[in-house]
Amino acid sequence: MKRIIVLFSLASLFLALNAQKYMTRNGYIGFYSHTPMEDIKGDNNQAASVLDISTGEIVFQVLIKSFHFDKALMEEHFNENYMEFEKFPKSTFKGKITNLSSVDFSKAGKYDVVVEGDLNIHDVTNKVSARGILEVVSGGINANSKFNIVPEDYKISIPGVVRDNIAKNLEVTVTMKYAPAETK
Amino acid sequence: MKLYIKIALWVVFFLALAGILAALYLFNKQHKDLQKTKPDIVISAIDLQKEFESDESGSTAKYVDRIIEVAGTIGSVKSGEENILSVTLKTGSDFSVVICTFPPGTDPSKFIAGNDVSVRGECSGFLMDVLLNNCVVVK
Repeated sequence: MKRIIVLFSLASLFLALNAQKYMTRNGYIGFYSHTPMEDIKGDNNQAASVLDISTGEIVFQVLIKSFHFDKALMEEHFNENYMEFEKFPKSTFKGKITNLSSVDFSKAGKYDVVVEGDLNIHDVTNKVSARGILEVVSGGINANSKFNIVPEDYKISIPGVVRDNIAKNLEVTVTMKYAPAETK
Repeated sequence: MKLYIKIALWVVFFLALAGILAALYLFNKQHKDLQKTKPDIVISAIDLQKEFESDESGSTAKYVDRIIEVAGTIGSVKSGEENILSVTLKTGSDFSVVICTFPPGTDPSKFIAGNDVSVRGECSGFLMDVLLNNCVVVK
């Protein structure tokens, strides 16, 4: 009997530890550029992300080629000229929720969070900080955030001809629906 | 001399017109209709995932930016943001699959877990899974 209890508690401990990690492979990360000349929107629905609720660590990863644009030419320019996907196929963010203690993961509801970390785009890493909302729902966690980045900070050069068509400041939208990480 | 100038002006005019038309054409160029595009590579989901897992950079060079047709068994069907549809194809690995992303407006009811399907899409590369974008179902 004692053995069963030990086994049972070990098993539940194992499950509890595993339940600390939440994951998605179909996250949305998009950006929006607004200028009087043109509005440009790039959508990526293949973002992978892992959120560890015990440490507050959060990681995002996207493939540059997964961004989709309305116009084929925009997509081509984005991939080949600006992001140089063949040299830098991925973009990543590794960071931490800085106010983890203000989130009660056992209670459904919306929580304001601040995430700080390293954003790597086009092989350039910068420190970024963004506000977001974590929503604890049954069976998972939703995350939303909007923040701005400046393409020049990531050594993305935009030729003079289209300089006026692309905003100096891009709005990035992040929408994730996390589910407990599978334990396989 | 006058005739010269006239001809030169016409040439300039036609060149400018051709330039504007070419620019308009490029600017409004549509995405490829994958339903009508021949795939560069035809492969099974199992083999595709295996190749990426064993040699990611080699496979990236081989498959990314190509149109590939992948045959496999549907694992799961999920709707994402902005009505995007994600369909996974089973592979030899429990953890890493082939994720096919379909454009908004794709009818999810034609995908049933466990059924076999052939999907044509643009390969974006490998994160945890092999990712295909702008997918269509091959009839």
